[in-house]
Amino acid sequence: MNGHNKLISRRLSTAAFSFSFAYLLSFLFEGQVMYSLLEMHGVSASAYILAAMIAHFMGLLTCGPFVRSQAEAKSMMLGGMGLCFAATIPFFFAPSSLWLGGLVISGYFSGCAVAAWGFFLSAYTPKKERIKSCGDVLIYSNLLMIAINVVAMNCSPFIGLSCALFSLGIGIAFIWMLPAGQENEQNRALKNKTHGGVKNPLILLCLFVFIITINSGLMYQVINPAFEHLTGLVSWYWAVPYIVALAVMRNLPMNAKRSSILYVGMAMMIGAFISFMLLGRNTSDYLIVDMLMLGACGIFDLFWWSILGDMLDYSDNPAQTFGLGLSANVCGVLCGDILGMSVTSIGLPNAEIAVIALTVVCITLVMLPPLNHQLVLLLKSHTYLVAYDNMSQSQQTDIVRHIKTLEPLTVREQEVLQLILSGKSNREIAGALCISESTVKTHARNIFSKYDVGSRAELISTLLKNQTVV
Amino acid sequence: MNLIRKRRNGYALLFAASVCLAVWLGAALMPEAGLAFRAISAISLILLVRQTRLLYDAALIWDNRILAVPSALISMPGRLINKDTEETVVSTFGILIGSKIYRWGLDGVHGVRLHAAYIDREWMYLTFGNAAQTMRVELLHGMTQKQAVLDAAQKLFRETGVTADITGW
Repeated sequence: MNGHNKLISRRLSTAAFSFSFAYLLSFLFEGQVMYSLLEMHGVSASAYILAAMIAHFMGLLTCGPFVRSQAEAKSMMLGGMGLCFAATIPFFFAPSSLWLGGLVISGYFSGCAVAAWGFFLSAYTPKKERIKSCGDVLIYSNLLMIAINVVAMNCSPFIGLSCALFSLGIGIAFIWMLPAGQENEQNRALKNKTHGGVKNPLILLCLFVFIITINSGLMYQVINPAFEHLTGLVSWYWAVPYIVALAVMRNLPMNAKRSSILYVGMAMMIGAFISFMLLGRNTSDYLIVDMLMLGACGIFDLFWWSILGDMLDYSDNPAQTFGLGLSANVCGVLCGDILGMSVTSIGLPNAEIAVIALTVVCITLVMLPPLNHQLVLLLKSHTYLVAYDNMSQSQQTDIVRHIKTLEPLTVREQEVLQLILSGKSNREIAGALCISESTVKTHARNIFSKYDVGSRAELISTLLKNQTVV
Repeated sequence: MNLIRKRRNGYALLFAASVCLAVWLGAALMPEAGLAFRAISAISLILLVRQTRLLYDAALIWDNRILAVPSALISMPGRLINKDTEETVVSTFGILIGSKIYRWGLDGVHGVRLHAAYIDREWMYLTFGNAAQTMRVELLHGMTQKQAVLDAAQKLFRETGVTADITGW
């Protein structure tokens, strides 16, 4: 596929995901259209919201084994979103068992379809550009969501639902137009990628995403209802700080150090809950709390989405990896929701809710350095990570020479070390040096031993510490 | 190498068979026989794990061979241990003599290391060991061309960091 066609495919894939995802955000995934419809019919929202989210979580988690190629991913996205369309129709009529059934079906298959998009993100967006693609889909889908929310809250929930379905229809049309003929090329490429290296960073990233999004769930159940009376403002302003944060992070220069902004995001989240505790419930208070909370969400969402996007290169099955990461997010929101519902039902004071949220932030603060550490090993050139790879080859060599080893490295070990430091996986090093993967592992163990370190992480950490010495 | 693989497969079969028999005899209410086969399973599992590790090391040595020679003489300082006439492979990570392996360079700086190499017209002498013990291997290298000797020495240096002392050429 040439560059021009690839660019068109990338745009098609972005459009397909953005329109489909706008439907999810405005309706299925705790969307304003859903809340408005439930409120209009006087139905309690909790059961419906939880059912849709659990089904969506299951879809994201279990999609991997069913979707193993780009063609299957396209079929899954088309079929899944088509089912969502059909299952949403009953919401134009009075509440019935079809509502709950429809939510479960659309929740599950939309989860599968979203996870399947991992194949297209991986195939059509170059690695260095994934942060931009992720930013694009999040920004466009949230802009569409705002438009649908405004219609649903200011005109009629049914018109809002029609808009959500229209958006889904456009999304399906774009999915239909997506080319899926690169299967062989992609499979060949996937065979050259590492398998073992992605596991630990992915687990840690999922854990981080899960914990950080507990606060999003708390926000849905605790902060949002407290400002319900500001209907007009909430309908359009709610996601604006999120979009602004996404746009800022997306458009920062690629060499900008985004890692420190994550700590700013933490501070914003802490500030949001403290403000919620101390401030009142009028318009200006809402503007402050929402700006801090959703701004922080924007920073974190683009962080983990783009990391996940880069991880797809190291995975046999992009749908599985993408689905796992997103399921951790949905699971976090779900837990936050349940926690929020519990604290609201027992009437916990705002101060204590803020303490819970701050505890969550503290846990993520503790997790951030080891997460960075693990991710650096896998994605050295990612813009959010403090990476050794940002140095020039000569700088790297200088640092390596300045660090004393217990015993000099052999010529072969020096070759392996250079490739480790340039971010290659064991499999890639084996391919480059025409040796077996177990030989690379043995050389790597010997190198660690000579530098008196226990792992790649420690080796890179040692080299980074010595960066200032040189 | 093949012998190690065959032995590993044999232990795997023994393990599978003894597990099946232990389960079957346990279910057939013959506890004593079941117990005996459980013991056999445990022993064969230990042997299987050991042989699998040995095969891994042998494969590593085979994959990184520097030189193949027709025979070897293994000695410890002061006394002769064994003379082997099976094909011997000298590698980055040790020597493979038939189904026997002598490892070096697999456990970092504190493990067994190759210390010295000496090559004359007929023999190649390799000294390896750790702080506790040193061994020496004498290999009938069979090389007749000086260039071949130089190439082997060069490869040895590149892979192990040991500079071979070449004399008599």
